[in-house]
Amino acid sequence: MTDLIESIGKTSVNATKSFRDTLSFATAIILKMFNKNSYSSATRMVLISQIYFTSVQVLPLFIGISIIFGSLLIGIVFHIIKTLGLDEYLGRILMGLVVTELSPFVTVLLIALRSSSAINAEIAVMKVNKELDTLNKFNIDVLDYLFLPRIISGVISVALLSFLFSILALTSGLLFSKLLFGMSLDTYSNVLLNSANFYDIVISLIKCCTFGFFITLIPIRFGLHASKDLTSIPIAVLNGMIDVFIAIVLIEVLSLILIFI
Amino acid sequence: MDAPLISNLDVWINISLIKQYHENLPEDKAELLVLQYLSRFSVEHIAKKRNPALLNKERFYAMLLRAAMVIDSIIVIDRPFKIIPDIPDDQFIYDSLKIIDDSFKECHIFDYAWFKDRYRMIHV
Repeated sequence: MTDLIESIGKTSVNATKSFRDTLSFATAIILKMFNKNSYSSATRMVLISQIYFTSVQVLPLFIGISIIFGSLLIGIVFHIIKTLGLDEYLGRILMGLVVTELSPFVTVLLIALRSSSAINAEIAVMKVNKELDTLNKFNIDVLDYLFLPRIISGVISVALLSFLFSILALTSGLLFSKLLFGMSLDTYSNVLLNSANFYDIVISLIKCCTFGFFITLIPIRFGLHASKDLTSIPIAVLNGMIDVFIAIVLIEVLSLILIFI
Repeated sequence: MDAPLISNLDVWINISLIKQYHENLPEDKAELLVLQYLSRFSVEHIAKKRNPALLNKERFYAMLLRAAMVIDSIIVIDRPFKIIPDIPDDQFIYDSLKIIDDSFKECHIFDYAWFKDRYRMIHV
């Protein structure tokens, strides 16, 4: 019994410590983000290449997934709306479901699977190879040069790709609105525009930025946990990705609470 | 004192990084500067290569140039025969330093005492 309590206590202390460390790392990054001295020519170059890797390279896959997944979901939603006779809530349901919930969630899952794991492994390998020490020896702040561009790129990429997902899903909704409800383009557009709520869009944007921030910040932090051994790399990636998943769920829950308050 | 090249960056970025970060030198100018330096060693072709693809001598050039990018640099070479084990003596190191002697203030080489015989050109 004592062992059990001890184990629970130890886990809780570790979780609290990890959460506190993540927040203090996030604060350091935010302070750097708003300091114009952080953006040297080298940092800008990394930022551009990171945006390319995170949001441009993924475009063909992302567009394909958005069209297939978006159309399927929109089809199901339209079918449910028609079956339950909720025609008058069509716009509200679409904007609420697609723009505020679905787009950020699908986008963040894809970016987390693709980029977060890559960033986590990259930083861990750099740590093991002593490349981070090399940067320190040349008086190059790794926060400025390595971490900040990756995090900003995460924020921009999730926000933009989420917007793209919304556009593609809502466009495929046009097809279903024509087939199931006989709606014209004008009527469909009007229904969506009338249902657009500025507050929802702001919440969605904040959610995307928060997702993007933490799904890049957490892998960096866990990448730094790697020791000098090669075997510490998979452990760092595994722990980092678990925390990324927990962060995604936490942000989703918090945003839902915020919306329903 | 290991200071390896950053493995996920091209050689030219490894070298230009110092000027770009500390002096905010624009990317195009930094690339041109690095290419000029690499051409002194006739190794411009390594500019777009990465660390694992380099030969020992090419890696030494890249590391040397990177160190020379620091303003008023004092270059410290720690156990050079570890970076370029395939050279018999210090002739290659001496020649390399001579080619860029306008780019650094001082150079210090540290090595094990039992390698003293391999240093013929450089005073150790």
